[in-house]
Amino acid sequence: MGVLAYRGVSKRFGGRTALDRVSLEVGTGEVFGLLGPNGAGKTTLIRIGLDILRADEGEVSLFGAAPTPQTLDCTAYLPEERGLYRRAKVRELLAYLGRLKGMKRAAARDAGDHWLERVGLSEVADQRVESLSKGMTQKVQIAACLMNDPELCVLDEPFSGLDPVNVALVTELIEERRRRGRTTVLSTHMMHQVEALCDRVALIHCGNLVVYGQLDEIRRRYSPHEVMVWTAMDLVALGVEATRREAGCWHVELPSSATPAGYLNDLVRSGVLVDRYEPLVARMDEIFVHLVSGGR
Amino acid sequence: MRIQRIAAVARFEFLSVVKRWSYLLTTFGLPLFLAAVSGTVLGVQTYFLSQRAAESSQFGLVDEAKVVDRSSFVEGDGELRWQANDKADEVLLYENRDAARRALASGALRAMYVIEHDYLTTGKVLAIESEKTPLLSMRGTSIEPLLRKLLRKSLIEGRLDGDLHQRVISPAQFVRSRLGPEGEEVVALDEALNLLVRTTIPLFLGILLLTALLSASGYLVQTVSTDKESKIVEVLLSSVTPEEILAGKLFGLGTAGLIQFAVWSSMVVVVAITASAAFASFVSIPWGALAVAPLLFILGYLFLGSLMLATAALGANAAESQKLTLGWAMLAILPLMVLLILLEEPNGILGQAMTWIPFTSPLTVIIRLSVDASGIAWWEVIGSMLVLLISTWLSIRVGARLFRVGFLLTGTMPSLAELWRQAR
Repeated sequence: MGVLAYRGVSKRFGGRTALDRVSLEVGTGEVFGLLGPNGAGKTTLIRIGLDILRADEGEVSLFGAAPTPQTLDCTAYLPEERGLYRRAKVRELLAYLGRLKGMKRAAARDAGDHWLERVGLSEVADQRVESLSKGMTQKVQIAACLMNDPELCVLDEPFSGLDPVNVALVTELIEERRRRGRTTVLSTHMMHQVEALCDRVALIHCGNLVVYGQLDEIRRRYSPHEVMVWTAMDLVALGVEATRREAGCWHVELPSSATPAGYLNDLVRSGVLVDRYEPLVARMDEIFVHLVSGGR
Repeated sequence: MRIQRIAAVARFEFLSVVKRWSYLLTTFGLPLFLAAVSGTVLGVQTYFLSQRAAESSQFGLVDEAKVVDRSSFVEGDGELRWQANDKADEVLLYENRDAARRALASGALRAMYVIEHDYLTTGKVLAIESEKTPLLSMRGTSIEPLLRKLLRKSLIEGRLDGDLHQRVISPAQFVRSRLGPEGEEVVALDEALNLLVRTTIPLFLGILLLTALLSASGYLVQTVSTDKESKIVEVLLSSVTPEEILAGKLFGLGTAGLIQFAVWSSMVVVVAITASAAFASFVSIPWGALAVAPLLFILGYLFLGSLMLATAALGANAAESQKLTLGWAMLAILPLMVLLILLEEPNGILGQAMTWIPFTSPLTVIIRLSVDASGIAWWEVIGSMLVLLISTWLSIRVGARLFRVGFLLTGTMPSLAELWRQAR
């Protein structure tokens, strides 16, 4: 049983269908990528999962049951459209948000201080939010999100507005959560982060679930039947078919019956001195564009 | 609903408001300002009165026309003196102007009056003030009506019989009455004063109640707009239910409003106690209205506040939220719009009807209890509170649902059908 599961969830706003019978499951301890173009229905799906919105049809289960205030205490959410009380002081605000998650006053204050230190903002603890930069505010929000060590954390575009150093910091925090068996749902348009972090992904488009599964398996599924061969030798002269050379490597489209391993064996046997060999795997941004634009 | 979460929201909202300068200034500054103004006015008056008391309270009278009845004067220290009133004002009779002028110049007299030889034909009485006396101060001096009375008495002494003599001295004592259902009804002075106090206090209390209600509701509208504009809504909703947020905001900001109301109404209580002490013999203070006012504030605020919160949540920003909630505020001030009718007929059909409408009942009950407590039955007071309580429960229930819908709105308003569907 997954941490968060949707079964046939639909949601309409007036005459517009935001989600149409979506079913998916987020497993325990994984980093799950929720992908899709703007307006695809990702935020609606997240909101329904966290009981902020109610589905018109279908079922949602959180930790194996319908969401309750108690199970929601074990979750945290960093929404894409986010903000903080501008006039509040950072430390007081974190303590308040911790209290809203059911933490005791002292524990919330301690956790707030601890997480401010983790994200490198201890020195601004007594400043008002309005005095912070955009990046600092974002880190305060991430600290607020992680301070109760939630079993499930939903991060919607956590990297936007962060410099590379802070992107690395947030990446490390997500990795750390995975190592500790905590589940993270990551919604982002930064596909290289998806490739680097996610175990499984789901792609929503126009309210429909278009792709769902293991990241590696999906990338393989949408990859061309090609390999890349780095060699100083001229493969065309050696009579290798369907070959083109790009950026110092040969792209070879394999016959439908061939496998990459078998083909490498054939190359070596035919006397090609292979420096480097790699089956071509589609990048997530390519898959995204392919699926969203309908192959255009 | 979880009490701890409600308490956390309430505490945060309460502290957010009470730490603001505008709140502190409005709550404590207003009574302090009024106290400072009243204190200054009283202080200045007291100062001048004490200065005046320190001055001589003796006046000189020179009777050149020989018309003043000497029987009112008694001899003392070789002079004829007339105790003009029960204060220390005293009139000394001088035989000639020079003696009086010397006494005036020495500061023994505040002023001297000369009844000239041709007084009977001209009626002129010369008033001469000390050089130190401010120009305008003699105009309002209290001795002159008494001198006029003395002259009137002296002129008719022995010329008219008893009653006629009295009527010339005191020609009319007005007795006021009103034409009531059972004929003319005499209105005593104490009753008129009583009515004045009875209408002033409820009016003042009513305006305070309404101001505090609308002020607290204004904070609610503001806080929802802040939540929406600062985009923290989803973070809140992923941690606590809309009902808990609504309840927390209501309690937190309601407490801030209640403190404001308590501070303000303490002024009324002080005024009432002062009035009670000063006019205890003929004025009764509406203690019943004062006693139920806090309860009515709480109920009225919870009812109006939950509606305000739900409606404010539908607005995209503060200005839009204020426009949307204006209707509720207009309904709440309805009793003030028809105040004259309520004061005239507190227990008439309008007063009775408005007692049962939750929007108008807090203010109406206070006015009715203040103006004529005997005309409102105890079951009406309890009943109106029960109606208010049930309406509050309903408005919180529906309000929380609308609040959930409205809280997440950032663009266009949902249709009424959609709102109804969500609110069920």
